[in-house]
Amino acid sequence: MQLPDAAVALLESASATDAKPIDQLAAETDEKPETLTGAAFDLETESLLDIEERTTESLALTEEGTRYRADGLPELRLYRAAVDAGATDDPVSMGQVIGRADLDGPAVDIALSNFARKGLGSIESGELSVNPDADPDSDAEAAALDVIATASDSAGALDDVTADRLVERGLVERHEQTERLVALTDDGVTALMEGVETAETVGQLTPELLTSGEWEEVTFADYNVEADAEPVTGGKTHVLRQTAESVKDTLVGMGFQEMQGPHADADFWINDALFMPQDHPARTHWDRFTLDTDPMTDLPDDLVDRVEDAHRNGVGPDGEGYHSPWSRAFAEEVALRGHTTSLSMRYLSGEALGELDPPQRFFSVEKVYRNDTLDATHLLEFFQIEGWVMAEDLSVRDLMGTFEEFYAQFGITDIEFKPHYNPYTEPSFELFGTHPTTGETVEIGNSGLFREEVLSPLGVDCDVIAWGLALERLLMLMYGFEDIRDVHGTLTDLEFLRNAEVVY
Amino acid sequence: MPVVGIDPDELRELAGHDTGDEELKAELFGLGLEFEGETADGQLQFEFAPDRLDRLSVEGVARSLRYQYGDVRGVYVPSTNDAEWRVEVEDVPDERPYVTAAVVRDVDMTEGKLDSLIQLQEKLHATMGRKRGKGAIGVHDLAMLKGGTFDGDGKRLTYTGIDPEGDSFVPLDADAEMTPADVLADHPTGDTYADLVADYDRYPAIYDDIGLFSFPPVINGKRTEVDEGSRDLLVEMTGTDQWTIDRMLAIVCYALDARGGRIEDVEIAYPEHETVRPNLDTRFKSVAHERIESTLGVELGVEETIDLFERSGLGVEHEDGAYEVEIPPYRTDVLGPMDLVDDVGRAYGFNELDPRYPDVSTVGGRHDRSRLERAVRETLVGVGFEDLLNFHMTAEAENYDRMGVEPGSPVVGGGEPVRIEGPYSEEYTMLRTWLLPSLAMVLENNTHRAYPQDIAEVGFAAERDETRPNGVAERRTVAGALARADSSYEDAKARLQTIARSFDRTLETPATTHPSFIDGRAASIVIDGETAGVVGELHPRVLVEHDLELPVAAFEFDLAALR
Repeated sequence: MQLPDAAVALLESASATDAKPIDQLAAETDEKPETLTGAAFDLETESLLDIEERTTESLALTEEGTRYRADGLPELRLYRAAVDAGATDDPVSMGQVIGRADLDGPAVDIALSNFARKGLGSIESGELSVNPDADPDSDAEAAALDVIATASDSAGALDDVTADRLVERGLVERHEQTERLVALTDDGVTALMEGVETAETVGQLTPELLTSGEWEEVTFADYNVEADAEPVTGGKTHVLRQTAESVKDTLVGMGFQEMQGPHADADFWINDALFMPQDHPARTHWDRFTLDTDPMTDLPDDLVDRVEDAHRNGVGPDGEGYHSPWSRAFAEEVALRGHTTSLSMRYLSGEALGELDPPQRFFSVEKVYRNDTLDATHLLEFFQIEGWVMAEDLSVRDLMGTFEEFYAQFGITDIEFKPHYNPYTEPSFELFGTHPTTGETVEIGNSGLFREEVLSPLGVDCDVIAWGLALERLLMLMYGFEDIRDVHGTLTDLEFLRNAEVVY
Repeated sequence: MPVVGIDPDELRELAGHDTGDEELKAELFGLGLEFEGETADGQLQFEFAPDRLDRLSVEGVARSLRYQYGDVRGVYVPSTNDAEWRVEVEDVPDERPYVTAAVVRDVDMTEGKLDSLIQLQEKLHATMGRKRGKGAIGVHDLAMLKGGTFDGDGKRLTYTGIDPEGDSFVPLDADAEMTPADVLADHPTGDTYADLVADYDRYPAIYDDIGLFSFPPVINGKRTEVDEGSRDLLVEMTGTDQWTIDRMLAIVCYALDARGGRIEDVEIAYPEHETVRPNLDTRFKSVAHERIESTLGVELGVEETIDLFERSGLGVEHEDGAYEVEIPPYRTDVLGPMDLVDDVGRAYGFNELDPRYPDVSTVGGRHDRSRLERAVRETLVGVGFEDLLNFHMTAEAENYDRMGVEPGSPVVGGGEPVRIEGPYSEEYTMLRTWLLPSLAMVLENNTHRAYPQDIAEVGFAAERDETRPNGVAERRTVAGALARADSSYEDAKARLQTIARSFDRTLETPATTHPSFIDGRAASIVIDGETAGVVGELHPRVLVEHDLELPVAAFEFDLAALR
């Protein structure tokens, strides 16, 4: 029979009658204990060895125990100090004794409670008297500390009561050790008698083995391939960024080009161009973040005039405007954008890339800022997915087809379109979809055909369908996240990010 | 979005159909009202977009259903009786010059009607009335008003302006006479609405022959309070825009008419001209048949289209491929023909339409910066960084103080702040000028997590720059931090070298000083000869400030340097 080095050594050192611990065999064979343990399990599988596990207990001093062994147990120090202070005759004040015993902090309480427990004396009205019969030099606990520190089999040398007391006091810790003992089986004895020889095995494949050609001669030792390895902390793209990437890939695949533009923008681009009346509730101070910068006075004058006219008078012969105040000063105020539709306005007006001819598809996945109440699904900053299609003669059916296609890419089907109202689109729809796991109907976006009152001032004379939705919402829907604050912002939990499932 | 509470039994009675609750919910969803929940007393709550303000009460919702069922067709305009009452407008505050009014008789107020009226009034205030600023409604028990006579017959009220201490009356929910100034100071409702009249020199006031009975837009007098048993009502509205209050009045008149009230005109006498209210005139707009078909993407017959208009509660005449559509006065949302096309679509049922993918071809793509950001992020992850995502808004203490950086100093992160005006939270008062403070905060909040913590972010930062059109220099930066027991300058530099090599850039790191870093262990990041950022070991002061008990090597540089 050919066996690896360690196995042969183990078989030869083991006995059929006297089970020996692995550590002892390791010493005898000059192999590492873990190597022998591996070999022993292999031989057990071959029925050549029996392995018996035995658990033994040992005691060890804690840091506090070690300190008391050197300095004396606090209660004994207290006793001796009290005797020195003359407490054998008359009670002495506690403060005096404590000072003399050089005790402070928690050690004082420890000393006092154990002093009483051990019958070393008594404490009454802040005065301490000692029991003259007590003998601090024969204290069982102090003696036990010495035993534990010096004896090899401390657990066996102590009575359980004292050991338990010391563990309770936090001076001693119990350790359990599992020891494996091996003995030859009958098959093992037979194999030995028939003769075993060493197969050349190596642990690590080395450059030397490779270059010398020796690798052809050797056998590789088996590893325990099922054991867990040391963890490696690798980096990972943020889960919300992964989702954004996946949305971007999808939209690029559907023929959309990406937009970019300022986060801090004139209210004109954020709201006025969108036909949002200036007294719309969403434009009050409380819903947006205005900045302390100077107004944006260099807005394109012709465009501003056309937008103002649409607000005041409407568009077309049968059009009406709003009965709301309108001022250029408000339009010039700079705020953090509440939606990325400000980008759509810049692109549709020609401000971003020059005049666009239909057909066009554009998108962005970018941050927007809203003064919402912070909760599990709302943040003050979040990513908005914004997309639009410009073409001659687009209908509601085209809008539905585009969005069904988009959401299908993320496993969200059975889209329902709830008629809705937005100042900037007509018809408008809230989009509802079926949650992929819970089966609930949930809102997944807002959409519509841009109104003439939006498009006409921008100089667009074909149809534009548009939609928007929060990226966070899509992430939560797809992966069942419950609290967006775990993911986004400085309160993020690194462990959560490290363990987050990969999005693809 | 507004929420309207509806008693389903009342709705069934007013709509004239014994529809089950579930079916009712489905029908209302089709109208755009989404079921939100049920209150303890059995009211169904529906949320809807703030366009159809005529549906802010059960009467309006029932009217829409009756049109949808086809039980009624054509535009209904309540007939109005001749005016007995007159409102004279004299010396009103300049800020709130407009008034409108109607008398409604034989309402015979019950608990249900009163609740519905109060809800309608509140919801109109919240929406079209812009929290009473643009339009405020007052409803009074007509029996409690005494009209001074004018021209021999008829009854007169006066809308005027008075000094804050100029007169007194007993307001609702009070037991003593108060001046308007007292109301603002001491009455809970006064406190809520004080801001509306804060800038007024003189306060709006409405008088009858007995005296002051209303202080719009804040509160009415107790004398004219409406309760169960009130029979005849005066509805008045004041505001900053005549059109707005006239439309609000129309909505209230339609709701009371549906409850059996008889509408009676009121003369409004402005100093320069006189009018008669309520204005229940209908409007007309023309919609081309072709436009309906192209918007919905389906072919429709003329008869079918007329039916759909009528089920939307609109009047319609067809001629030469177009429809002349009559719009009732409570429809405040109709600004142009497309709003009528939308009505046809709703009546048709948008969800009946068959989706199709638009048959137009375009080429997709990402912009340069977006691709660069992704590439840099992938490189950072490749060298072991956990990619992070932090807020763009922060506080000055975090951005500057805790990092030891002075605002307006010539170091990375020292740019002048772009501040949020009137911030709502002291945690978010400005846009971050750099990213390392965010990373330091993440480390601070994760000291209980396993080390090493190598974290990085590619993200937005901004600082004040008067040369930009928006006054803000917006940029993206790349920041990384290595928190580990043996972290050193070299660890950060090594990773920078890898990044520079990956993007084929030369990297130099001449020594520099930066208040967030240890002197002698900080360097400028110079990429292709241009200074782009800073790298070094964070100063122990910064570490201790963030409760960090191990060294952190960190860097930050402009993304544009890799472009």
